[in-house]
Amino acid sequence: MNLKKILASLTFRFMVAYVAGLSLAVFIVLALLFASYSYNYFSEVNKTTHNEALRLEAIYNNGGRAALAAVLAAPQSGRAAQDFLYLLVDKDRNKLSGTLHSWPANSYASWLALEYGVSFEGWAPGREQLIAATLPLRDGEMLLVARDYSDMILFERIIVSVLLRSMIVTIVMGALGGAVVAGRGLQSVDAINRAVQSIMAGDFAKRIDLHNSGGDFLTLAININRMLDRIQTLMEGMRQVSDNIAHDLRTPLTRLRNHLASLQARVDGDEQHTVQALLEEADSLLATFSALLRIAQVESGNRLSGFSRLDLSVILHDVVELYEPLAMEKQIVITTEVQAPLPLSGDRDLLFQAFANLLDNAIKYTPENGAICIRSSGRDGGLLVEVADSGVGISLADRERVFRRFFRVESSRSMQPGNGLGLSLVQAVVNLHRGSIVLSDNSPGLKVAVRLPSTA
Amino acid sequence: MHILLIEDDQGVADYIGRGLRDNRHSVEHVANGLEGLQRGQAGTFDALIVDRMLPGLDGLQVIEDLRRNGNKVPVLILSALGDVDDRVNGLRAGGDDYLVKPFAFAELMARLEAILRRQQTSSYETRLKVADLEMDMLSHRVSRAGQVLNLQPREYKLLEYLMRHAGQVVTRTMLLENVWDYHFDPQTNVIDVHISRLRQKIDRGFELTLLSTVRGAGYLLQDPGTV
Repeated sequence: MNLKKILASLTFRFMVAYVAGLSLAVFIVLALLFASYSYNYFSEVNKTTHNEALRLEAIYNNGGRAALAAVLAAPQSGRAAQDFLYLLVDKDRNKLSGTLHSWPANSYASWLALEYGVSFEGWAPGREQLIAATLPLRDGEMLLVARDYSDMILFERIIVSVLLRSMIVTIVMGALGGAVVAGRGLQSVDAINRAVQSIMAGDFAKRIDLHNSGGDFLTLAININRMLDRIQTLMEGMRQVSDNIAHDLRTPLTRLRNHLASLQARVDGDEQHTVQALLEEADSLLATFSALLRIAQVESGNRLSGFSRLDLSVILHDVVELYEPLAMEKQIVITTEVQAPLPLSGDRDLLFQAFANLLDNAIKYTPENGAICIRSSGRDGGLLVEVADSGVGISLADRERVFRRFFRVESSRSMQPGNGLGLSLVQAVVNLHRGSIVLSDNSPGLKVAVRLPSTA
Repeated sequence: MHILLIEDDQGVADYIGRGLRDNRHSVEHVANGLEGLQRGQAGTFDALIVDRMLPGLDGLQVIEDLRRNGNKVPVLILSALGDVDDRVNGLRAGGDDYLVKPFAFAELMARLEAILRRQQTSSYETRLKVADLEMDMLSHRVSRAGQVLNLQPREYKLLEYLMRHAGQVVTRTMLLENVWDYHFDPQTNVIDVHISRLRQKIDRGFELTLLSTVRGAGYLLQDPGTV
């Protein structure tokens, strides 16, 4: 199972989206937690700071400045000792008493300080983050009560780090989980794909293996197998019908031909020629039926059972050897550049038939003194065979149509004998071998390129 | 020749029977596989023509049973099916040749004579001779009237097959199957060209023509003096 396939799979994409969504949700939950905690914390800080300021104001109001100074100067006990800082200044902001050494030069209101507070920075050494409440007293004197919130900053750092770590863990676990689930899903999809591909190539008896799949994939595989059973039944029915038609027509046609043959022995003179013409007509009809049945047989994939390991170069040499005298009658030179060996798995007779048809066509449509070249090579796990001629070629518009049954290029109808099934059979044979066939311009002439999978 | 025909299709059986009698052979016809096997065991026939699909007992089964009992009579199998596998199965069961229906009678006749001939001639012969045409199988030398002929390897194989079946008609498909060893339908009659090239080499400049074309059937190599 390659990584590229996993990354491209639907399951993996779904998992990526899922992980992204999950991360976002985790982020939102932690952020809300943080915001709500901060809000409560600062409300509490503000309230206690404000209360402290009110308590000190009460002392000031009752005992005057001296009483307050005494309280501020006295050693504090309990929680307030760590948390609160004080400063009492006169109307010129000179220090009268307290634990802070001077009035802050720059102060600003921040959203964290809420409605009561002011935040200071770079003012009290070692305690940069402070929230303070100021209280105007008599004669322009001012009291400042401040509270440090570095514990909150620490908590903020912890929250952020927890957030980051949990996000990383979520993403890594999600991605790994996604890959594993996608990989398992892909294995089932791959099994289904492989089975469907070999069925498309004609192996209709093939079914999807149910052993490795489970859940929805098992249901899918079972349904596909049932569908294939149904298709196979229908196809067999169709083939039965067409075989019967072909057989039923071929039998009386053969009888007709045989009667003609025995008639020919009894007549003479001009009638001989008439009977001969009739015989040839019957033979060509029979040949057409045979070709049709052969194409049907190849397309049904029945011939797959006859596949064996072959060397295509031997077949090509045999085809050329068989057709060379025919070409020589038209002074056509056949050159071969055949690489050997060209190993493949296939049906020997059908491959011979296919390349014989191609060479036969090339000879038919190449004028006298022309040239035909057969080139073949094996590369990238495939075999390439090119049959190029210097003949009339096939127009671009006709290149697809020539593979259709009974299609004949208009100019060749009058020129050459044939039933228009030769290339249909070639294509059926090439398809059976999971190959491809492409026609192109050899300017002048036609170049047929056949690609077949190799076993090397 | 005395031939047993095992065929359930009355039309085909009549047609084959008539054709064989016209060629001066005697024919016995049965329509059932089981009966066919009994007749084949009991009678002395020169050859059997057996349809593949038979009521009672399958055609291939008939042949297998005959062979198991040591009966070596030449058998030609007829079949409506044309799969390669069927041909292979047919020959494996012990058939000598295989003919797909429908067929021209000339094809049946040529193949029947070929399997009869196979019984008579040994493949270990080292010299073949038709009139003054001679083939030495050991030195691969072919000569006519003492004059050595220079043949290509395929021409040699073609001539060898024709000489082994001298005096009988050989069809185009028989040549493709036996000389080229491929089962296929040539679109054009490419075999004719090979025959005419061979004829050029063996008959040109000689008074007697040994190799002739039989219209609508095939080719015939024979010594005109023996007819």
